[in-house]
Amino acid sequence: MKFWKLLLWLTALVYLSTLAIVALSWVNHLKLSAEWKTIWSFELDPKARVKPEAQNAALKKKIRDLHPRGVYIIIDSAENRLYLKKDSQTIKEAVVSTGSGVILVEPGGKRSWQFDTPKGEFFVKSKIQNPYWVKPDWAFIEENEPIPKKMEDRVEAGVLGDYALGFGQGYFIHGTLYTRLLGRNVTHGCVRVADKDLEEVFKASRIGTRIYIY
Amino acid sequence: MKIEPERKDENSQRGRGLRGGVSIEALTKTMSTRRNEKEMRPGGRGRRLQAIFSVFLAVIFSFSSININSLLAQNRSARQEILPATGKNGKKAGTAGAAAAQKTGPAAVRASSQATPSRAEHQASAASIRGIPEATLKILKENKFLEEEFKLARSPRYYFVLNLKEKTLELRARGMVLKSWKASELRYSGKPVPLQVTTLTHKTALNPPERKVLNPAEQQAEEARKAEEQARRAIAKKEKENSQKPEQPQVAPVDTFEVEALEITDMPGSYELNFDDGLRIFIRSKSGFKEKFRQARETLLWNTWYPVKHFLNRKSELRPQLILYFDNLRDAQGIYWSFIDGLEGIIWFP
Repeated sequence: MKFWKLLLWLTALVYLSTLAIVALSWVNHLKLSAEWKTIWSFELDPKARVKPEAQNAALKKKIRDLHPRGVYIIIDSAENRLYLKKDSQTIKEAVVSTGSGVILVEPGGKRSWQFDTPKGEFFVKSKIQNPYWVKPDWAFIEENEPIPKKMEDRVEAGVLGDYALGFGQGYFIHGTLYTRLLGRNVTHGCVRVADKDLEEVFKASRIGTRIYIY
Repeated sequence: MKIEPERKDENSQRGRGLRGGVSIEALTKTMSTRRNEKEMRPGGRGRRLQAIFSVFLAVIFSFSSININSLLAQNRSARQEILPATGKNGKKAGTAGAAAAQKTGPAAVRASSQATPSRAEHQASAASIRGIPEATLKILKENKFLEEEFKLARSPRYYFVLNLKEKTLELRARGMVLKSWKASELRYSGKPVPLQVTTLTHKTALNPPERKVLNPAEQQAEEARKAEEQARRAIAKKEKENSQKPEQPQVAPVDTFEVEALEITDMPGSYELNFDDGLRIFIRSKSGFKEKFRQARETLLWNTWYPVKHFLNRKSELRPQLILYFDNLRDAQGIYWSFIDGLEGIIWFP
């Protein structure tokens, strides 16, 4: 009998303690949650910040001044979309193809290439009409063909469409013959656009036009 | 019924004391055992309730005192840490004081090896904001945010801004919004993250996407072998069909192609983003039964186990963590795609 009573008491005690812990935990939890809204860790010296409203306005202006002006290009490599913008207005939207992310390994494992479209801020560095493609080594390795020694053997016409905008390190926004693959990630890092869409982008942009790829 | 003389005396004494005028004989008749006697005692149940209540109060008071003591200790240490900041040198003294406190203070000793925001820092800021109107605080907070964003906007790389109040995650470049995602639900726990630039160190997923590796020489040999085998099978099948059915119209092969690429649809919908300041952000999409089950489990844990865990570990550094739920799987996949290692950003509560 005594054992059962003791057990009952212990159970009651454990139950009440648990309740108390849960209640206190919740108080603690709410306190912590409130801290996310009110506390931030940086040295706060209101005296050093004379007229914070004016400072905020100045900072906002500084950031606004960094915004691209005029025409610029935004490329969403996840959705394979290109947006031609003027100030904050979208003047053209096009379906594109971007890097496949595939890794090509040279037989023997000496060299390897990762076919990603670079991300970040770039500038139009060259504008070419009726471009020729100078095939790099990987283009031959991919086809399991020998790498030519003469430059002439590397040149191929018509593959890059009617226009090309170079944005550095051998990357281009260019036209394509494979329009069926637009909207898919199939390229070696370049951005493929349908010729009729690219024409407008080509005409609107100039050397120095900003390109944002994410 | 036979009653022993000793027992009789005892009963008679108790009877007199408690019941006053009730005769001993009447009582002895009704009380055959000690158990019955106890039950008859007036106020027995009330006493038991009193005892339970007092135990309950004792438990509550003991836990409250533990909590109050810990709070007092926290305040004491915070006051010690803030003292240098109130001097004439203001900000410099404050920084030095905080640094000193980080080196010598008890909070600093407990701080983890990771660069998590220290308790001292939080307490210092908490104490230093006392007495400042909320409107001013908001402006000052925005000021700090703008300063941090300006640092990021100056670089050519894109960055992210997570607004905890609006539940929006934005990709920005040069201060301009490139893409924005709206979370349907957001939860945070642990110590609040400092309002400063944080860097994504790595992503963790149960099934991370794997890049396809092309080895043309091997691939060509494999393809040739497969083609040969397929051709052999086709010939065998044709021969078999010809023997069974004399005439059958030929069906053109379906144009199916599989792109060997890493696309947004290959990205996971549930993963973890780890930052250099110890912050972990869990991204979840609500698509599918599996994900809904996971969310239900997380909600249960979040409301039951996590508060207790944080309470029990309240003296140690709690790693800040966030959970962001998105209605569309593609949103979660898009974030995985865009959040590359080394990406910088700011998390703030306006």
